[in-house]
Amino acid sequence: MDLLRDLLDKQVVDRNQVKIGKVDGLVVELRRDLPPRIVAIELGSITLARRLGARPGRWMVWLVVRLGGKRHAKPHRIAWKKVRDVGVDIKVDVDVHRTTIFDWQDWLRDRVIGRIPGA
Amino acid sequence: MKKLLEISLGIVTSVGGFLEVGSMTTAAQAGATFGFTLIWAILLGTICIIFLVEMAGRFAAVSGHTIADGIRERFGFNTFLWSLLATLLVNFMVMSAEIGGVAIAAELATGIGFQWWALPVSFLAWLFLWKGTFGLIEKGVAILGLVTLCFVVAAVMLKPEWRQVAAGAIPSLPEHDAASYWFIAVSILGASISPYLFMFYSSGAVEDQWDKTYLGTNRAIAGLGMSFGGTISVGVLIVAALVLGAHGISQVDDYHQLPLLLLPTFGFWGFVLFVASLAIACFGAALEIGLQQAYLVAQGFGWTWGEDRKPREDPGFCSVYTVSLLLAAMPIALGLDPLKLTIFSMAVTAASLPLTVVPFLFLLNDERYVGEHRNGVISNGAVIFIIALGFVLAMVTIPLQTFGGS
Repeated sequence: MDLLRDLLDKQVVDRNQVKIGKVDGLVVELRRDLPPRIVAIELGSITLARRLGARPGRWMVWLVVRLGGKRHAKPHRIAWKKVRDVGVDIKVDVDVHRTTIFDWQDWLRDRVIGRIPGA
Repeated sequence: MKKLLEISLGIVTSVGGFLEVGSMTTAAQAGATFGFTLIWAILLGTICIIFLVEMAGRFAAVSGHTIADGIRERFGFNTFLWSLLATLLVNFMVMSAEIGGVAIAAELATGIGFQWWALPVSFLAWLFLWKGTFGLIEKGVAILGLVTLCFVVAAVMLKPEWRQVAAGAIPSLPEHDAASYWFIAVSILGASISPYLFMFYSSGAVEDQWDKTYLGTNRAIAGLGMSFGGTISVGVLIVAALVLGAHGISQVDDYHQLPLLLLPTFGFWGFVLFVASLAIACFGAALEIGLQQAYLVAQGFGWTWGEDRKPREDPGFCSVYTVSLLLAAMPIALGLDPLKLTIFSMAVTAASLPLTVVPFLFLLNDERYVGEHRNGVISNGAVIFIIALGFVLAMVTIPLQTFGGS
């Protein structure tokens, strides 16, 4: 598998076929005397901002902590062993509602969108 | 039978996307100033958009992914981000122009200044997106949009010299005002080959759950639908050439000149038909662009999206169109001239084409997405031609804007 071509930026779908984001980053473990091994995929704005450069990455961490608190200071990670299928979509054995990935969407729903009549 | 119904509905729908404030205005300007001589630009634009729409539909039907998905997945986030920002900006200007078009129609109908209508129009559009389903928006706009056929009827009833009309289909050099001629040509191409149109079409194919069995339907809708839209644009151009010229108007620089278009043919009802056509075509386009903004962001970042869901199921998606519609109403509410904005945004659209068309060359030849339904020689040739055209347009737009813009 070509990681950049077949994995990075692909659509991630959870156990219940919910679109939860794109593969925004990859986490690779470098091991002594052994080939590197991929351990997790990363999702979220911090990872994306880091791809633009170190400084945007720091700004995004600051912003996200301001908005969502300390527990959002690190990018969302999904362990590689949870990945079930790598095709046009990346299927993972995770329930997105048990993660913090959709916290901001939940906030938006509860505080803004849900309060508008007809939502 | 079901397929046939689907195809006819699809054709009508694509007219809704094709005809909007940009194509109406640029066609009217071309007709008033240059007679039939710019018909070729509409034809060229229509042929290009047929190819792009067919490919966008094929890509979505085979892969289940939209063009925006494809750009992000195939070219990575950094490339995607720039094309996202450029497209959002262009769409913002076009959407503002569409809201302006509806506001002008409301002003013509009521006499109350257009800037007062910007926010109500934008709110009404938001309400449609908030409560409506994809089918309602797609089909409702499409069927009401048939009123624009009155331009074709008027064009035929005015009995133009068909030989001259045919001569206009062949590109020719201008006899006067060369800079203005080419600027209008560029604007017509920008109005016909709109990125939002083919991006929206690919999202629509996913919303309507197209699969490989829709490839034939897709081809028919792309070909016939866009030709149908182009025909109406040509109708507007012919009517403008015959009517505005006869009234001594050789340059359209004010929307208040335009209701004149249909008066000689339909009398008072011509006024009503014009106002209705402008309002419906622009309102439909504003809805589609509003959705397209949300599709673009949601698909690019991999969120859940879909117009058929309730807003609480995809809050991110809904927030994008809510904010977009509100922002797009602002320039008009502040009194920016909708006509100037329209012309300007069509030229900018033309200049932005390379950004959205280059990916077609890669995506439609990528077997992982489209498998055996890859582009053939003709489609690839068409994409390369459109990319080249896009680069030329991008280069000449700014100088022409300076010398030929009204």
